[in-house]
Amino acid sequence: MKRLMYPVAALVVIAGSAFTTVKFQDWKIGEDYSIKFSSEDPSGVFKGLKGTVVFDDKNLAASKFDVTVDVASINTGNGMKNTHAKSAKWFDAEKYPMIKFSSSAITAEANGYVAKGTLEIHGVAKEFSMPFTFTQKDAGGVFNASFDINRMDFKINTEEPAHGAAVVKVDISVPVSKN
Amino acid sequence: MFRKVFFLGLTVGITTALTAYVYNRVYIFALEVNFSKIVNTGSIIGVSFAVSMIIAILYWFMKRWLKQKGEIVFNFTLTILSFAAIYLPVSISLPLDISNPELFMGLVVPMLFFPALGWHTLKPLFIRE
Repeated sequence: MKRLMYPVAALVVIAGSAFTTVKFQDWKIGEDYSIKFSSEDPSGVFKGLKGTVVFDDKNLAASKFDVTVDVASINTGNGMKNTHAKSAKWFDAEKYPMIKFSSSAITAEANGYVAKGTLEIHGVAKEFSMPFTFTQKDAGGVFNASFDINRMDFKINTEEPAHGAAVVKVDISVPVSKN
Repeated sequence: MFRKVFFLGLTVGITTALTAYVYNRVYIFALEVNFSKIVNTGSIIGVSFAVSMIIAILYWFMKRWLKQKGEIVFNFTLTILSFAAIYLPVSISLPLDISNPELFMGLVVPMLFFPALGWHTLKPLFIRE
């Protein structure tokens, strides 16, 4: 009997440790998301959103966004503007093909949440706070975010500050479903 | 005089619409793009007839106003306006759900010259100087 005590104890530890694993809620990004940007000139959308979204409003410490957006997917509705936007003068899509956001902390605020992290555009990584809301619906939900970005902060065509707007408003809507 | 010009304009409208329709189908098939929200059978027919009739009225007006020099001024005006119209597809912003807007110019720019080509091709059949 004594010989069995330690193997049984080991099994109890193994079985018990399984219950210590926290189940994080990760979400699958829906295809009908939208990433719109608007200003006096230009306005448009980005496609090509990919990444992982882990969010649990009851466990914000374990929540994390790690997403990328394909720069070449930019669409202003005008072919000439699209070509210019992707060129070396502006986003330089060939050299910097992705816009990246990786959160380091998500906190609750009065009107929703704020994801603090690193936003990388045009090869320039900056600390960025992105306010957002989350509306849960059945087995899914929708993330909404709205904020301003100054292209000068990311060294996008700094030679021509007056060519098009420097500050653009970004509106993001990402429907998600449970993974 | 106006009767002949009117029927010439009408025929140019039909020819332009047919040519633009065929070109649109070939372009869509070759490049697998979809601009049907902007360029479709209805808009092709409507714009072709409207532009051809405007050209006819412009021709009639210039012939009456400038007599013998009317033909020369009209030809220059039609050519210049056809080239100037390129500004429209270059500057237009399409709805954002339409992909590949950079291919829109390739569809529309050739079409801008169809009315002028049709006019110069068909005019000798209707009006003999």
